Amino acid sequence: MRPAVVGALQAVYQQIVDWLVTLVRAPLAGLRGADPVLGLAVVVLAALVLASLLHRRARLPRLLGYLLVGAVASPVVLGLLQRTDIDPWKPLIDLAVAALVFELGTRLRPRWLFDNPWLAASSALEALAAGVAVWLVLVLLGAPKASAAAAAACAAATSPVITMAAFLEARPRGQVAERLLMLSAINSVLAILAVKLWPVLAHSQSVSGSESLTLLASASVVIFGSLLLGLACGVLLDRLGRLHDEAATMPVLQLAVVILAALLATAWGLSPFVALLVAGMTARSRMRHRLTVQPYLGSAGAALTVLLFVSFGVLSTVENWRTLWPWALAIVVARLIGKGAAIFATARPSGLSWRQATALTLALQPMSSLSVLLVADSFGWRAQLPGADAGVIQALLITTTWMQLSGPLWTLWPLKHVVGEAVDDDRPHER
Amino acid sequence: MALEAFTPSQPLTLGVELELQLLDTHDFDLTPRAEDLLRELAGHSGDWDVKPEITRSMIEIGTSIQRAFTPLRDELRDLRAQMSRAARKLNIAISGGGTHAYQHWSEQRIFPTERFRYISELYGYLAKQFTVFGQHVHVGVPNGDEALWLLHALSRYVPHFIALAASSPYVQGVDTGFHSARLNSVFAFPLSGRAPFVLTWEGFGQFFDKMTSTGVVQSMKDFYWDIRPKPEYGTIELRVCDTPLQVDKAAALACYLQSLCRFLREERPFEPAEDDYLVYTFNRFQACRFGLDGEIVDPKSKQRAKLRDDIIRTLARVEPHALDLQGLDACNMIRESLTDGNDATWLRRQHAEHPPMAALVEAAAARWMAA
Repeated sequence: MRPAVVGALQAVYQQIVDWLVTLVRAPLAGLRGADPVLGLAVVVLAALVLASLLHRRARLPRLLGYLLVGAVASPVVLGLLQRTDIDPWKPLIDLAVAALVFELGTRLRPRWLFDNPWLAASSALEALAAGVAVWLVLVLLGAPKASAAAAAACAAATSPVITMAAFLEARPRGQVAERLLMLSAINSVLAILAVKLWPVLAHSQSVSGSESLTLLASASVVIFGSLLLGLACGVLLDRLGRLHDEAATMPVLQLAVVILAALLATAWGLSPFVALLVAGMTARSRMRHRLTVQPYLGSAGAALTVLLFVSFGVLSTVENWRTLWPWALAIVVARLIGKGAAIFATARPSGLSWRQATALTLALQPMSSLSVLLVADSFGWRAQLPGADAGVIQALLITTTWMQLSGPLWTLWPLKHVVGEAVDDDRPHER
Repeated sequence: MALEAFTPSQPLTLGVELELQLLDTHDFDLTPRAEDLLRELAGHSGDWDVKPEITRSMIEIGTSIQRAFTPLRDELRDLRAQMSRAARKLNIAISGGGTHAYQHWSEQRIFPTERFRYISELYGYLAKQFTVFGQHVHVGVPNGDEALWLLHALSRYVPHFIALAASSPYVQGVDTGFHSARLNSVFAFPLSGRAPFVLTWEGFGQFFDKMTSTGVVQSMKDFYWDIRPKPEYGTIELRVCDTPLQVDKAAALACYLQSLCRFLREERPFEPAEDDYLVYTFNRFQACRFGLDGEIVDPKSKQRAKLRDDIIRTLARVEPHALDLQGLDACNMIRESLTDGNDATWLRRQHAEHPPMAALVEAAAARWMAA
């Protein structure tokens, strides 16, 4: 982009921000000085109002409203909230993510991958193709190969949180929606595996054989440990459910097991994502229809969704975007092409029409902070990619911000308008 | 539009149509996946046919023309195997049963064809409430006159088929107390019930002309009678059966009808009369409500009898014909079901053992898919 155009855009942006700040100077000053907990609570209220307006007037997803309000309140725009202001709410945000991942697990039927081997191939291929495409394009743009590999591993994942939350908002029914859940779970697990193994690949020349073995063993411990923990938690929920066979106690038991799985995974340095996913799958498989997962913990879950997505918005980052935007754009395009190529290549044998393949490709695009931070041993907000090039990681974070803020649109627009799997109305969808 | 000529067909040939439920494997509610399944089955082997039904959560299969029980059952088993394989690939389940136990009619989506859109516009919400699943059996007849004679002669036996095939006790999450609640949905249609008592194809043509001149009907498809002539196929079509939970049962019911038709044609045990219909609605209700334990009134003798006993007596009379048609196994299956109970009884037993409705629907799907 030419410097003159960038300059003009920058001037317009600054003018809009100044105007907004002037318009609401007094309340903003008050909010900035307020207790961060109160500040976030006010922002959450604003998010509810805006999301409702967006949904009613423009038929846009409510989740988009929450994200936008969070982004507007973030240091990137108005600076109403700092990223650290989220910290007091972190346990609730962790719970929101954990509950969504657990519910995602309950909706997966691993047997499907055996019944449809082309789906299994499609799952692995789309993650691999997206990763390879991102790596290739970043290397072509001059990124160090090892850092490009780290970014590629993270970019392979689709945000399971945005996918699941959008799924709960629109309640779609159909091939694309179900594959989206399955693929986002699988590509996230593959991304975790890739990132855990990244140091071995990235520093293969400097890392000795024994260190490589140690890293491999560590990655195996994380994956298999998380798997075992998830299995144990799923079995535990089943056993406890048999002891207290009352409908009223089931949501409480679920909540307790979700918290337990997340905390133990964090304490033992395992992957909470894998543990919760497996816990959900195990619980569903053992309990069948006794497991009546309250859609995302009922109305408490709805409140958590708002908080979670507002927080995602607040965590937006666009630092150095003027220099890094070509890289970020390249990541977006490479992911789209990589995932699309794999989905289209396996569409017909796996039972998808071209239209459905198009919808699935688009719906697989959202990213979230979680996909970058999957590498973390907990739901903390620190990336753990030691030695990775700061520019590449920042480009990845900018991409994440873009694909997170627009995430609900990527998921829901194709489901509603390309394949018609979600009905665009306000009717309650009792299942 | 004049009534088309009756295409002659070989007597007592059979064709079976089954309307089936497409289910989500997560919550076992109906799921609008007919187009996916149709696409997946486009290259199926075998002479059977698969096509869409009025809502996207339904699918209809039709066998080729058959003459005896074993090949009919084998074809149904083949189509079940192919459909089940395709369904598993798409992560959906398929089930028989006359109703889905807890689906909400308002969530159903009309399959996008001209005919279904027309029905949806004409009948409004009734079209979505018509998300019920039946078995239709076609029996070949040589001409229109014989078709109408057989149609009215069979009316006395309609309760047999309702009670034997009944598999729809649950509607919208509630036990209706009926064995076949599905037929209550069919009753809501203005052109349902029984065919007018006309015994010649010429007379039927006059009736059809009068109806079309009123603008109420456009084709034979607009009549939702319990038994109706199908001139383009050269058959009469029995439409009162719920879709059974197993394909073997569907084959057995079809062959019981075939044997009964042969018995009626060859022995002519009575002549149908308009007055036979005096008890028709009562008998039909008894079969729907109480299944095999219902009491029916013989339209000729005016005697009351348990439906189960009436079927046993009828089986004894039609079995020589079943033997000639190689359908004795079908009659034996029917006899066994009189003691085991119909599918509605099986569903209630399942529900008592595994209370969640979703578990009930999952069990029914496993039964149909032979999982």
